[in-house]
Formats: sequence, structure tokens, C-alpha cells
Amino acid sequence: MFELNRRHLLAGALSAAAVTMVGCSGSDGDSEGPKAGDKVPTSGELSVWCWDPAFNVYAMKEAAKIYQKTSPEVKVDVKETPWDDIQTKVTTLAQSKKGDQLPDILLVQNNAFQKNVINYPELFADLSDSGVAFDEFGESVVGYSKIDGKNYGVPFDNGTAINALRTDLLEKVGLKVSDFTDITWDDYLTMGKDVKAKTGKPLLSAQSGQSDMLMMMLQSAGASLFGDDEKANIANNETLKVVMKYYGELMKSGVLVELNSWDQYIGSFVNSNVAGTINGVWILGSVQTAKDQAGKWEITNVPKLVGVDGATNYTANGGSSWAVSAKGDTALAADLLKKTFAGSTELYDTILPKSGALANWSPAGKSEVYKKPQPFFNNQPIYSKVVEFAGKVPSNKTGAYYYEARDAVAAAMVKVLKGTKIDEALAEAQKNVEFAMK
Amino acid sequence: MTAPPTSEVEAPDRAQGKVRFRSEQRRNLTGWVFLLPAAILICLMNFYPMVQALIMSLKTGRGTRFRWADPLWENYTRLFDDDIFRTTLFNTFFYLIVQVPIMLGLALLLATLLNNPNLRFRGLWRTMIFLPCAVSLVSYSLVFRTMFATDGLVNDTLIGLHLSNAPIDWLGNTWTARIVIVLGLLWRWTGYNMVFFLAGLQNIESSTLEAARVDGANAWRTFWHVTVPQLKPMILLCAIMSTNGTLQLFDESWNLTQGGPANSTMTMSHYLYQLSFNRNPNFGYASALSYAILIMVAVLAFIQLKVGDKRD
Repeated sequence: MFELNRRHLLAGALSAAAVTMVGCSGSDGDSEGPKAGDKVPTSGELSVWCWDPAFNVYAMKEAAKIYQKTSPEVKVDVKETPWDDIQTKVTTLAQSKKGDQLPDILLVQNNAFQKNVINYPELFADLSDSGVAFDEFGESVVGYSKIDGKNYGVPFDNGTAINALRTDLLEKVGLKVSDFTDITWDDYLTMGKDVKAKTGKPLLSAQSGQSDMLMMMLQSAGASLFGDDEKANIANNETLKVVMKYYGELMKSGVLVELNSWDQYIGSFVNSNVAGTINGVWILGSVQTAKDQAGKWEITNVPKLVGVDGATNYTANGGSSWAVSAKGDTALAADLLKKTFAGSTELYDTILPKSGALANWSPAGKSEVYKKPQPFFNNQPIYSKVVEFAGKVPSNKTGAYYYEARDAVAAAMVKVLKGTKIDEALAEAQKNVEFAMK
Repeated sequence: MTAPPTSEVEAPDRAQGKVRFRSEQRRNLTGWVFLLPAAILICLMNFYPMVQALIMSLKTGRGTRFRWADPLWENYTRLFDDDIFRTTLFNTFFYLIVQVPIMLGLALLLATLLNNPNLRFRGLWRTMIFLPCAVSLVSYSLVFRTMFATDGLVNDTLIGLHLSNAPIDWLGNTWTARIVIVLGLLWRWTGYNMVFFLAGLQNIESSTLEAARVDGANAWRTFWHVTVPQLKPMILLCAIMSTNGTLQLFDESWNLTQGGPANSTMTMSHYLYQLSFNRNPNFGYASALSYAILIMVAVLAFIQLKVGDKRD
């Protein structure tokens, strides 16, 4: 699928951001001593699958360098593998009982994490007792890789949502980005109509037939497509109905415009056809490909739903976590993750300026690197802002059937936009998801 | 592989018979040895997985924990209750029924035109029409997606020619999206079938065409009553191949429309892939779906063979 390309863009664009801040903080975060560390071998070779040379592949290679400072005998072999291929390989290897061919560490999309562990628990190592301090990560990001109370993943890529806006276009309407901070979707609609009327440009664009926007809105109120009993919660999901109502209004008023492909979506803001975008923070990589718009962008938090319990201005989209194969060198792999992605501010200080890889690990967010003003974003310290947002993102239940549910809701929204009643479309979605879960 | 010499040889005539039988055997053996590598490979790579898939289609369960379905044919009956499968079935047959006849008709027409020995630059035309086949399915799908974007080439042209006032959301509406896929298929495959027809036309005795002309038949009657009947085996071949190909259609649905809007352009094979790799993996059900496709292809091919055989 085309989502993966986002990260290529992200990394390339952010590399220019700051070059001076490499390795200023050397604290290792490993002072309490490894609990499961006694049995960790001091030599060996770890294989890793992840997909973006300028982003997660780069981050893993940097992590390997840091780990090798204390364990010089350990080699790390990173194989660039697109996510679609990782998913296909995991499924095929599991199905043909060749799990030993998995790499020691693999990066898994947060949306697919639970599905894979629930279906193939024999492949994934339980990291609960590995010594990784999971409480140092945001609850919502750990939730993606937590199954039955056990932790199977170390969160890596931050999917915290941001509302990025074009300050120059807003100025024409007499608005500022602060007018969009801590607002509701009602406020957003009102201002959006104003922007549309005076500049002719929508505030927002999205890819048609995709559920990303709907899911972000839903998660912002802490709601999910599945209930506590893990049954599909779609037809009677009052929050979802509110979400769809707002989405319909956004479309009808022209504040939101739908485009048919990912490239068109990117093009809509790169070519100044829309005045803003709401997405996971990784979208900023694509935003920054428009060099002529430097200094004209700012970010803030997302609007919240009205009339819904637990509504917040924070949500997330996407992201990924490191999983450890149960069939490989589990102890060594877990130790590497613990001492780097879950224990080295040095790592995050290195990879942020070069690849834009934002930490989910909270101690890293306090580093000076994150507070640096970003010229592209009108000298806002966007990274520390995003880290601040990240801590407030409500959790979202994914489970094994998350993709079915997302697809069904996306299809329902398409039908609603074409005139079907929300209740009717959601009843059909509920039926399809229940059918898939049977 | 040779048999050990036997002492049981008694009568010379019997021995002679035996020797002859042996040489025949040897010839048979040689034949089998030549066949063996291909036969083993096809059994291993094709028939063995097919049998495994059949067995898997009778099983159910999460991940790798399979058990026999209860009843055994549960996955197959499940197909009948699956709304998304029904949609994909409809879509696939829409492509089949609309696209294949148009394509074969066009291919036949083009082949006849390009078979005219007096036509100039024949080789050039033929190559140009065949060329789309050399393009990868994925790249042409992506090009079509760009062309039919709301701000793409097609809309710009339509607006430029004042044929349309506002851009048409080709890929965002059910029927226009289906039409774009049909157009894509036509572009990609017409030339391919045309080459088969051209080859078939070479085998038609020019004397039969001359005889028809002498008898006073016009071009259309000559084409319809002389050329087409003699091309019948080729038409049949192309029809079966296209049917088979269309029922297994994947790339266009996957790359051009991503199955949307709301699954309304998704093909059966696309759904099969989704069931296995995108969604919660359900290989038992996906195998049942693949067998359903196999049965449909077989039945359609059988019908076409029956219909095609009538004249012979």
C-alpha cells in the first residue's frame, strides 16, 4: 500500500533540519542494571527487518553503533524490507511453520501488531520481563503491542497527530494558528468555511475511501471500533456516528476535499491547494518537501469532538513498534532494544535531526534537541510540542480484526457521502465485520 | 533401468517377441524420461499445492492452529453469506461480460484491417497496437490512475474541449471507476489478442476468400461467413484465455482503484489476497475462495468449448 512512502519523504526532508546537535547527551538510561541481562550473550549476529533506509533502517543502524560500544562483538545485519513484504513473509513463514527464518528483530506497523501476535503467538517473544521500562512510553503507544497484559513490542515511530496549517493563508482571513489550538470541530468548521469563502481553498484534504481521518477523530475521544468484550462496536457506536456526521459536514461545506490517491493528497498541500492538513506527525516530512513554503507552516493540536464523553484534542495515526522473534537470539535482541530504543537518549538525539524519528520514549523527549526551533515551521519548537501531545493521546483498541473494521467503516463513509443514512451504513459495516470475525 | 538377462527364454519366436517388446518399452521409457522433469516439477509446484489448498479449504482456525471445519464444507457455504464476496463476484463478472466481448471484437476488427496486404506501415501499426502488452501491469495501472485523477489528463482534455464543465471524479464513483478498469483492460489486452487473430488469419486459404468474392459476396459477408468460421478455433482460444485471465484479475483492482470506492471495483482475486495477507489471515476461507474461482473458470471454459465445438 502507499502509506509507506510517507516515511521516505519525511526522512529526506528533515535531514536538513539540524546537523549540529549530534550526541550532546550521553546518558545511557541503563543505570538500574539489566534484570534478564545475565544470560545475554556478549557476541552474536542479529538480523533485522525494517523498511525505510532514511528512517527506521537508519535508526536501527545507529542503535547498533551505540550497542556495539558496550558489546563490540555483536553484529547487526539490517535488511531493508518493505512493510507489505514483512507482513507477507511473516504470514507465509508462520503458515508453513518456518518461523526460524524470521529475523531476530522486525519492525511491525502498530495497526497490524495485535493481529500478528494473536494469530501467530509462537513467533513473537514476550518482552514483559525483558527489563524494558514500558512505563516510560505513552500508554497508548504501548497498547498497540500489548496482548493479554503482555508486552510484545518496543514502540519506535511516533504516530501522534498534528494539525498543520498555512499561516500565510490564514492571515488573509485574519486568523492565526492559535485560533486553531484547543478548539472543537464546530469551531474548525466555522473557520474553515470562512477560509474557503475568502481564499477559495479547503482547510483539509484526505484520501477518499481511506479510514485514517475517521480513525483519528474516533481515537481522539478514546473510542474504538471494538468493545471491552472484543466484539465489534460499530453499529451502536455513538462516537463513531458523531465522527461520521462531522466528516459529512466537512465534505458538504467544502472545508474538506477528498482525493483519490496518496500522491494527490500530498500534492494538495505541496501545491498550496489546501490550507492545512491533519495527520500523524510523519506527514511533516512530506509537508517540508515544499521548500517554497518554508516558514509558512505551523502546527497545533487537533480539533475535538463535541457532545462526546472523553473528547480530547489529541490522537494518533500509524506508527510502528519493534518485535522480537521467539525463534531467534531472543535475549540478545531484547537487550539491544532495551539499551537503545528504550534506554538511550543519545540514540534519539542522533536520529531526530537526521531522520525526524520522534521518540516515544519519554526521557528522550526532554532532551535539548527537541526544543530547537524549526525554521520551516516559523521557528516553532515542533518536536517538543509533538512529544507533549504524544503523552495525552487516548488509547485505541486494535485487535486481530482491526483492518476489517477500518475497511468496513471506510466503505460505510463512502456510502454515507453518496446518500445512505449513517445508521444503515454502519449496520451493514457491523454485519460485515461480525461476518469476518465468525 | 535395463532388465537383467533372463534364462527363461525358451522358444526363439517368443524370444523375438520379447526383444521387440523391449525396444518398444525402451522407446516408451525414453519418452517418459523426457517427460519426467516437467512432470515432477508440475506435480510438485502445481498439483501438490492444489491438493494442499483443497485440504486447507476444508479446515478452519486461527493462525496455524487448524482443525477440520464442521461441517467440512463450511468455508464454501460461508461464501454464499459473504456480502463482500458477492460484490467482488459481481464486479468480476461485470468486467468479464463487458470487457471480453468488446476486446475480442476490437481485436478481430484490427487484425482484419492489419491483415490487408496493401496497407502501408503494417509492421508499425501492428507493433504499436501490440506494444501495451509489453508494459507491466502495475506501471500501466499507475499511469491510468494518474490520467484519470480529478486533475489528470483526461479531465483536463474533456474540459479543454468543452465536453465537460467540471472535473469528473472518475475513480471516486462506482460506475466510472469500473469503466476506467474496463478501459485499462481494453488498452492492455486488445493488441495481445489481435496477434493471435493475425496468426489465425495467415492460415486462411486466400482461395476461399477469392471464391467468396467471385460469388459476389461483399466485404462484410466475406468476413462473417468465410473468415470468422475459419478463425473459430482461435476465437475460442482467445475467449477461454480472456475469461480465465479476467476471473483471476488482480493488478488493476489492486493498483488502479485499490478496490474502491467501497469495494465496488474489487475483484475476487484482490479479495482473496486481502483475506490472506491484509486482514486477519483466514487461509481456509481464502483457499475455498480460490477453489470457487477454479470451478467458475472450469465451468465457463467447458461451456465455451461446447459452444465452440458445434460447427466442427
